[in-house]
Amino acid sequence: MVKMSVEPVQVMSGQVKELRVAPSSNGDSRGSWEGKEEFDGGSLGVTAKPKQVTGRRARKVEGGVFFPKPENAVTVAVSSRVLFRTEREQKVFEQKGVEEYLRYQIEHETEPFAPGPAFAFVKALEAVNTRLRELYPQSEELFDIVLVTYNHAHVGIRLINTINHHNLFIERFCMTGGSSPIGYLKAWHTNLYLSADADKVREALAEGIAAATMFMPEKMTEVSESQLRVAFDGDAVLFSDESERIFKAHGLDKFFEHERENEDTLLDHGPLKGFLEALGKLQKKFYAKGQRLNCPIRTFLVTARSAASSGIRALKTLRAWGLEIDEALFLAGAPKGPMLEKIRPHIYFDDQMFHVEGAAEMGTIAAHVPYGVAQHQQATKK
Amino acid sequence: MSEIKQDAAATNGNMAEEKDWAAAKAAFENLKSNKPRPPKPQYAVTIAVSSRALFNMVAERKIFQEDGMETYVAHQQEHESEPLKEGVAFPFVKALMNVNARLRKLYPDSEELFDIVLMTNNHAQVGVRLINSINHYDLSIERFCMTGGQSPIGYLKAYMTNLYLSTDSEKVTRAIDEGIAAATMFTQSTDTELSSTQLRVAFDGDAVLFSDESEVIVKQHGLDSFFEHEKQFENKPLAQGPLKCFLEALGKLQRKFYAKNERLDCPIRTYLVTARSAASSGARVLKTLRSWGLEIDEALFLAGAPKGPLLQKIRPHIFFDDQMFHIEGAKELGTISAHVPYGIGQKYHKGKLIEQPPKKE
Repeated sequence: MVKMSVEPVQVMSGQVKELRVAPSSNGDSRGSWEGKEEFDGGSLGVTAKPKQVTGRRARKVEGGVFFPKPENAVTVAVSSRVLFRTEREQKVFEQKGVEEYLRYQIEHETEPFAPGPAFAFVKALEAVNTRLRELYPQSEELFDIVLVTYNHAHVGIRLINTINHHNLFIERFCMTGGSSPIGYLKAWHTNLYLSADADKVREALAEGIAAATMFMPEKMTEVSESQLRVAFDGDAVLFSDESERIFKAHGLDKFFEHERENEDTLLDHGPLKGFLEALGKLQKKFYAKGQRLNCPIRTFLVTARSAASSGIRALKTLRAWGLEIDEALFLAGAPKGPMLEKIRPHIYFDDQMFHVEGAAEMGTIAAHVPYGVAQHQQATKK
Repeated sequence: MSEIKQDAAATNGNMAEEKDWAAAKAAFENLKSNKPRPPKPQYAVTIAVSSRALFNMVAERKIFQEDGMETYVAHQQEHESEPLKEGVAFPFVKALMNVNARLRKLYPDSEELFDIVLMTNNHAQVGVRLINSINHYDLSIERFCMTGGQSPIGYLKAYMTNLYLSTDSEKVTRAIDEGIAAATMFTQSTDTELSSTQLRVAFDGDAVLFSDESEVIVKQHGLDSFFEHEKQFENKPLAQGPLKCFLEALGKLQRKFYAKNERLDCPIRTYLVTARSAASSGARVLKTLRSWGLEIDEALFLAGAPKGPLLQKIRPHIFFDDQMFHIEGAKELGTISAHVPYGIGQKYHKGKLIEQPPKKE
């Protein structure tokens, strides 16, 4: 099992009442929520110029679309537990029950959470959005981030405070107060759902929504702030698990034979194909403006397949789908960890926990896609 | 008059009569019947519905408008034993009855229940058909006000009405002006299956639960000023809107279930579906609700996304909003919507000021 750090988060102990953050990291000068401080209107950065104030996003709506329609945008739904680190609160909930948990949250309302595993990913999405708005100010084809959480509305204020503290732009919330949020995912035209709860992720996958479970790595390697990097496994993530079935049932040789015979038959698509497609669509918008070398989205295929023996079918399938992938790594069974450490993706999708754990050990933010035949194997092993 | 004579005549007789009255009253109150007794208005959550909201009377209405009153009344009398079809407020009323049944099980002597009053402009002649229809569906609506053309406002107040539902927007507007929570009901274009065990009520935020002060700022000064204003006054609670008291009443009943450990199985669920953005303007809303001591089960901040698809997932028995634009969007996807004609949102349609006479955009 991935070792999730359960020691109290260091960030929070230092910040109790003092929310005065240095302007360079967060231009919001308003500290205390009691409203005692005079509100400094000047630092809000509401100017007529579309130029951005250092660090602080100008919350203007006129310059570019800030609230795209869900069907036009690439909607990424995140749960509060993957966006922020909430281990301490989880413990309170599990040990002392709902009422105590709510009371704890309300007490600590002004303490922002620390960033969680999906935080860097969300920040990178916003960086891409900024570039897109520069090139296409009227377009609604942007990333739209929705917070979908089981949490009660009482916790909403702490979440809002944290989002503002970290200067994220998440304006759409679904606080379901205990009932399943899966129904809302479809209504939001969700392209990707990230959660810490494997059951919800499985439910979402069953509904046909790309979803993955995220884990907190022990150490997080530094990732790029200007380029979104997304790495995918091949089988049972981008493609269906048909090949894995053959491999697991009949062994490697049969698998190679089968792949060679069926080289020109396309593989069936997997749960995350739609998300790669959405990324590709946005990438093409950059290419159209001559930004290929400077594109802020980069996609990677990191597969345990062997190139010569079984790689052609994968590449031909991608080509047939009209999907470009920037870098393709065929590992032929070598461990993925070191490769991923070099790639430094903001998120890496894999269907096998074994690979996810390996990646997390080396500091890569990995997400598990509980799809396909590999899941049953793991269940029986345990 | 006869009482005065009697008073003067025989005080003894009077005492005896009073005792009789007292005895009769006691006997009446102690009457055991299988049908539950309707609660007293001051304790109950009173919901007044009009006949056209409760039942589908579109055909009858046409007769009234085209052929006149006499033909209409005659028609109704002819078809007296034919029950009317279900109307747009029918699922809501059925759900209320269901909650009542649960409440009676947990608190058999309490009067804090839903009480439904039929408040209709109809003539008393039509009453028989209405009663037959009500009995046909086994609803327990025991209180009627057939005003025969008069305004129902006075009766609404007398019944301490917590919510008035009608299909006539004029009456609803007048009720709101008098401080009674009211909404105009619209039929949805498609039918959705609704929960038969849980009452679901969805509210818009501004100009429904809260006053329209923030909407005024948006419409007159734009979105940026609105965000600035909300951040500045984050800790100042918003003023209350027309439906705040109804949410309060629902909350009171919800707490009765929580007290009996039925939180997970509570047959009332409330939703806030607002076009506000969470991080920029959501905190004020949540803090206001908290300062009022009101809990809302689910809060959805849409930041401008269309409400229709989300409401389709929620499947409320009723959805209150002040802007026709949202009502229309919700209707199209099968949500039962009710328009609250309050605040500055009435003068605008889809963000543009409505010119006199009002034109459809």
